[in-house]
Order: sequence, then C-alpha cells, then structure tokens
Amino acid sequence: MRRISVLLLASLSPAFSLAQAPAPLPDAPNRETVQRICSACHPAQIVLGRGMTREQWGGIVSNMISRGAKGSDEEFAQVVDYLATNLPPAKPGSAQPAATTKAPPRPKNLIDQAGSNDKQVVDEDAAARGKTIYIAQCITCHGTRARGGDRGADLVRSLVVLHDRYGSEIGPYLAKGHPQPHPVSLTQEQIVDLSHFLHQQVGDTLRTGPYNSVLNILVGDPREGKAFFDGPGRCSQCHSTTGDLAHIASKYDPPVLQLKVVFPQTAAFGRKRGASNSRQPVTVTVTTPSGETVSGVLDQIDDFNVSLHDASGQYHSFARGPGVKVEKHDPYAGHVALLDQYTDKDMHDVVAYLETFK
Amino acid sequence: MKILSALLLAVLPLAPGPGLDPSELIHPTVDSWPTYNGDYSGRRFSTLTKINDQNVKSLSLAWMYQLASGGDPSGGRISATPLVVNGIMYFTVPDKVWAVDARSGRELWNYTWTSKGGIHLGNRGVGISGTSLYFETPDCNLVSLNLADGKKRWNQPICDLDQMYYASVAPVVVKNHIITGVSGDDLDRPGYLEARDPDTGNLQWHWSVVPKPGEPGSETWPNADAMAHGGGMTWLSSTYDPDLNMLYVGTGNPQPVIAAKGRMGANLFTESIVALNADTGKMAWYFQPSPHDTHDWDAIQTPVLFDGEIEGQPRKLVAQASRNGWFFVLDRQTGKNYVSSQFVKTNWAKGVDAKGVPIPNPAKEPQIAGALLSPNQGGAANWMPPTFSPATGLFYINATRAFSIYYIFDDSNKPEGWGGNDQGGWSESMLEALDYRTGKVKWSHHWETPGIRGGLLSTAGNLVFAGDPNSNLVALNATSGDILWHANLGSSVTNGAITYELDGRQYLVVGAGDKLFAFVMNQ
Repeated sequence: MRRISVLLLASLSPAFSLAQAPAPLPDAPNRETVQRICSACHPAQIVLGRGMTREQWGGIVSNMISRGAKGSDEEFAQVVDYLATNLPPAKPGSAQPAATTKAPPRPKNLIDQAGSNDKQVVDEDAAARGKTIYIAQCITCHGTRARGGDRGADLVRSLVVLHDRYGSEIGPYLAKGHPQPHPVSLTQEQIVDLSHFLHQQVGDTLRTGPYNSVLNILVGDPREGKAFFDGPGRCSQCHSTTGDLAHIASKYDPPVLQLKVVFPQTAAFGRKRGASNSRQPVTVTVTTPSGETVSGVLDQIDDFNVSLHDASGQYHSFARGPGVKVEKHDPYAGHVALLDQYTDKDMHDVVAYLETFK
Repeated sequence: MKILSALLLAVLPLAPGPGLDPSELIHPTVDSWPTYNGDYSGRRFSTLTKINDQNVKSLSLAWMYQLASGGDPSGGRISATPLVVNGIMYFTVPDKVWAVDARSGRELWNYTWTSKGGIHLGNRGVGISGTSLYFETPDCNLVSLNLADGKKRWNQPICDLDQMYYASVAPVVVKNHIITGVSGDDLDRPGYLEARDPDTGNLQWHWSVVPKPGEPGSETWPNADAMAHGGGMTWLSSTYDPDLNMLYVGTGNPQPVIAAKGRMGANLFTESIVALNADTGKMAWYFQPSPHDTHDWDAIQTPVLFDGEIEGQPRKLVAQASRNGWFFVLDRQTGKNYVSSQFVKTNWAKGVDAKGVPIPNPAKEPQIAGALLSPNQGGAANWMPPTFSPATGLFYINATRAFSIYYIFDDSNKPEGWGGNDQGGWSESMLEALDYRTGKVKWSHHWETPGIRGGLLSTAGNLVFAGDPNSNLVALNATSGDILWHANLGSSVTNGAITYELDGRQYLVVGAGDKLFAFVMNQ
C-alpha cells in the first residue's frame, strides 16, 4: 500500500531516507520548480537515488500529472529537464567515489533508501569480482540471478544475505561448511567480493533496479490498427498520418507512443529535449452576471474560483457563484471517451500502425 | 478542572497528569478524539451539532499550528490523525511527535526519534493508553512516551529493517493490547498484525497474514516459498467491536506486487478484510476483495463498523470502499456478504462469485505489451479515511476513477519485488455518498480537477467535511451533497478532519501539509 503516501507509492518509489537531515535536491536550473510542484503531494527528495532516461522521467511526470500534479506545461517540461539532466541513468563506475574504497559505489537507489541506514554500499568493482566467484562456486544451485531453484536457496531473499554487511554473515555461514559434502573455500577478500555481488542482486530486484523497464510492446497488427484508426476509433476525424502524425514513430519510442495515444493529455514528453511540450490546453469561457464573457486558457479551477489567461496573456480570476457561467472545453475529451471503449488489442494495434510511420 | 489539568501539564511536565483508561475508548466523550478513527468503529462520525448545516457558513479560524520543519518539505506532511485527550492534542510526522493545547495550538512538547533508516513516507499518528502514548517509527520501532512530558518510556522492535519493512501505522489500544501493523512493499516479505503489552512492548500475539503450509488458506498458494514471501502488509489501524471482541483489519497486496507468475492462486489472506479475536489474534472469518491481486490494490481501507438493516433485518455490519473500486458490506459477526457493488466503474472483474467476491479477468493482469486498467495503481480509494453517518445512513468516500497501463517488466519464471508497474494515466475525482443497503450512489460531487484527496468526517450537524483535490477544506450538506462552506488552506488536506468540544465550543481540526488548522464558530 503504499500509499500517498499512496500516490507516491504508485509509480514513484516511496522510498527516500530522511534520516536526520534529508539530502537537498541538486542545485541546478529549475530546482525551485521541482521543489514546488512535486512537494505539493510528496517530498520532492523522493526522486533522489533514482536514475532514469529523459523518457522514463517523462513517463513518471506524466503519471503524476494524471494523478493531479498542478503546474503549467512549461513547468512540467522544466521538471522533466531537471530530472533528466540531474538524475540520469546510472552508469557503472561513474558515480561519486566512496570514502572508504577506491572503487566508486553503486549509485544510490532504492536499496540505499529502503532498509537500514547502515546497509551495505555496493562496490561495483568488487561486485564484478564477486560475480566471477559466484559463477564458479554458486550458480549451479542458486541460479543466474541468485534467486535459487530446486537445488539451492533464493539468496536475494535470504536472511543471511539481508543481515550481512561486507561478509559479516556470509563468511561465518560458509565457514560452517557449505555446501555439503564439498564446502567452498574462500578467502576473506573473496567473501567480501561475493557479498557485494549478492547485495547488488538484492538492489537490482527492487523497483528501481535495472530490470524495471518496458519490454517489447509491438505486438499489435498494423493493418487492424489502421482499421481502428479510420473506423471505430475515429482517430482520423482529428488526426492524419501524413499531417500531424507524420513521422510520429521517429519522435517517440513505442512505449512512449503508446502512452501518447492513450493519454495524450498527460503523456507529453518525447524523445528529444525541447520537443516535450505538445499538449493542447483546456480552455474555458466565463460569463459573469453582467453578461461579460472572457475566454482563454484555463489556469486553475475549483468549486469556488476559476482563473484563465486570455489571448493577450492577461490573467483573469473569477469567484464562482450564482449567475457565473463556466464552460470548459477539453480538447482531449475524445481520448477520454475512448478509455471506456478500447480493448487492449485496439491499443496495441494502433501503436503498431503508428509505429510504421518512421 | 480541565483547564487546570492542562495548566498542570504545561507547568509541571513531570507530574503524572491525567490519562486515558482504555475502557473509556468504548464510549469516547465528545471532548476527546482518543483513537485514530475517533472511536473503535471507524465511522469518523461525531454526535456534535454546535457546528451544523445551518451555521457552518460562519465557521472561522481559531488557531493554526505550523511544524517547525525549517522549510524542509520532506519533514512536514501531516498525514496523522491527531488524538485529543484531556484537552491536549497529540500528532506525528515520521520520527516526530507533538503535544499541543487543543484550545490554542500552543506547543507543550515535542519528541524526535533518532532514526536508523526506513521509508519516511508518512505516519498515521499515536495510540494512547493510561498516561502513555505509542507510535511507530520508519525504522521498525514501537516507541512509548509519557503523555505528560514526552519523555521516552521504552522502545521495542516490531519489524526487521534489513528485510525492508518499515512502520507507519497509528497503534490502536484495545484493553491491555497495543495493536500494531507493518508496512513495506519492497522485497517480498510476509505481512502481520501484532498485539503488544502496554507496559513493556512485549509481544502478546502475532497473526501472520499469509498461512504456513497445511494451514487454512495455504491451498491458495503454489508452494511454501511463495507463501513465506507473500506480502499482505497491515498499513492502517484496525477497527474493533467490543461486544464481539473482534478486530477488523484490511490486508495489503500480495508480493511480488505486479509480476505474479510465482504465486498463482487467490493468495489468502492478502487483499482481505479479516476478523480477529482481539485477545488471541485468532481469525474468525475473512472476505477477500481482490483475489490474486496484481495491481497493488491493497484492501487496507478502513473496515467501517455500524449497525443497520438489510432486507428488513437488523444487522451488525462492516463496510469497505476498497482500492479496487468495489464497495462491500458484510455481516461483521460472520463475514457473510450483503453488498458488492462498484462505486466507480472498473474494468478488471468479470463479475462476482456466489460469495460476493469479484472475479478477476485474467486478461486484465499486467501484460508485457501493456493492459489498460481502471482503476490505476493509486486506486479508486486509498488510505485516506472514509466516513459513515448513522444520521443519513450514507457511507462517504472521496473516490477516484482512473486509468493507467500496467506492464510486466520481469517476464522470468521467478519475478521478485515488483516485476512491473503501471504507467501513464487519466483520472477524475469525486466525493460520493453510498447507500449501504444497495451500494448505489445516492449523490456524487464531482471535483473540478483530479488529484490528491483528503480524508472525511461526518457529524450529526448534517455535515461532511472533505478535502478537495485543490487546497480547500469543504463542508457539504451530508444529505444533499450541497457545498455549504470552504476555506483554502494553501495546500491540500493531508489527513482526516477531527472534531471535539471544549468549554462549550466545537472545534474542527484538519491537517494540510505542515500545518494544523482549528476552526470554531464565532461567538
């Protein structure tokens, strides 16, 4: 349940470690925007320790918009820029140097946040050495990802491993003679390396691990996608594959394209920097009791107030009440209506069809 | 006399001070809010009427208390429900507890726990028994403080940080039991509920959400390994029926969370509403809203207890508006199902079985290429408290209708952790009033924007107090749903409002971000 807590839990990892003094967001352009928009619902520091591509961050931000994050398109683009620039995908060996080892530690991820503050900091080089030991001594019974099998225990879930720090539990366990009848014999250094490898496997299993990305989604039938596009989906009433959707497949990878098709009002972040903002705004027309009419791009609305920017950019704000008429126009209303209509096959077919327009 | 007590507390912090006899929790007085839900029932309904549908438009600010968080946004989101006992209010954020004067908001003491880790996402508050309070910490401790001065009495570990559990529940005091729950969705661990001794924190009983091989429910798991790592966290405070001596607890999602190839079956007793004997932890019955969940739709939403009439017969009932979008009404003595209905339209179930349990559509499990689901992972409801008014017979829920695409990321034979997630989305939010006899929506107020929504409170003054998805605390006519009053608090409501009466004045208190706001009628 993760709860907002729950909101957070949902697609953004709920994990951040407060300790006594939470780490600040990196000082870089747009930090204030990130701080302000994200912390309306959850600590902005929750992003720390995540490393993702621009598209992945775009996906997260899109998801947050869909859950009610409040900001302008420009601000959301700034948030994505900030996250993509300052929290890029982890590159082994590129992280900050560790204080106690010559090799750099694994970039901070969920394993560094969930769990104990004193948990093991994985040394990538040591883990690589540990991997060779693992392959030589352990893999037959414990499997390629250390998740066990018929012959050996799951080491990712092992309490010996989870309670271990730099070999403190693994060493004594092996010293008792494991496996029988031919126990391995490892040096203390090898035990530490093996420990780094196993803790790395635990970290990789978590939500922020390297395996948490969309696999192949191009399973649809392009011809049936075209039939849906021109037929029941009514896509061709507003869109054209030679007009606004020309070369759409070169702008978006398939997973992003799928989000763009289904949730265009929130999935606004494309492959290229700067090409992120293509959302059409919700517009609103307010008629006051005196009959004055003001139209423009919706800024904010609740049951009590409505605000907008008119065509000249002028800001207007109105208290709602008897005699004040408010008409909203959502340019994506057709897409919203489709949510109840799509089958998953329709969705996959349309994406496969659009993916043919390179 | 109460004023004097409060003064004594403030001036003589080491005096034992007045406490709270656990037996008083059965019939809480209106000058208090002595447990997470105000009383054991989880209704969050107050009999107070000084603030009512006729005069609520004149409600005005009495005091505001801002956490001294130094501008640090991560330190200051109040998702705790404050407790009020003897004129003093107690509330938390992760690792911190405050006592403030419930009349004035004046801080009396605060306490900071030195953390060893864990997820600091939110804390739901304290439990109070005698002259002590109890709270859980992200690093898996149950901590007891003196009510009078906030000095620590003791702490006891209640979960293992190395296994990536953490703790966030507001403990519930039942007789001589402190009922605790555990949190964490990171690494395939079994959930449990425990009772602990109020004087020492020692374990009294332990109920494991997932069974052991051979035990009832084990037939819904493929093997012992899947069970031992099957999840089912107990994220929220239990409710309690003193006459039946039964605790009602909602259990969390099974684990691994999304990729479920390794846990085929219904995965009992995750995703369930469970009745436990409060003295032994023995299960009396269960009802499972989401068999074999693969969408993180834990069924932990407060099981709300009330007495009502079903088909002309008086019944002791328990109701839940579940994260999966379904509303359930059960007999709380037996678990028999009376109502199963969708309170928002969903697309994941093929119908309900003979026992009223939704039948998941396997095609709507997460897919490698993506499956379009409603609700999304955030759910149609979440931890935010609902309310039930016996005056209107309506169950109120701040609901969300949402879509997202669920993906499988780990297509191996033994996925672990999550192995997938949902992406993208669209949502809308509304406050709904449900007729418990039918599950039908009596009225619905559609909020103008989607987004985070606060908890609810209903009162005998024919009022429902709700947070909207913007920053407004809103009072609605409980019968009609008409909006009667609002105040923009500058940030969203982040807990459920409470109410209490002191010196003849009815206070309404709500948390929004790092502030508590107290409202009263001008006199």
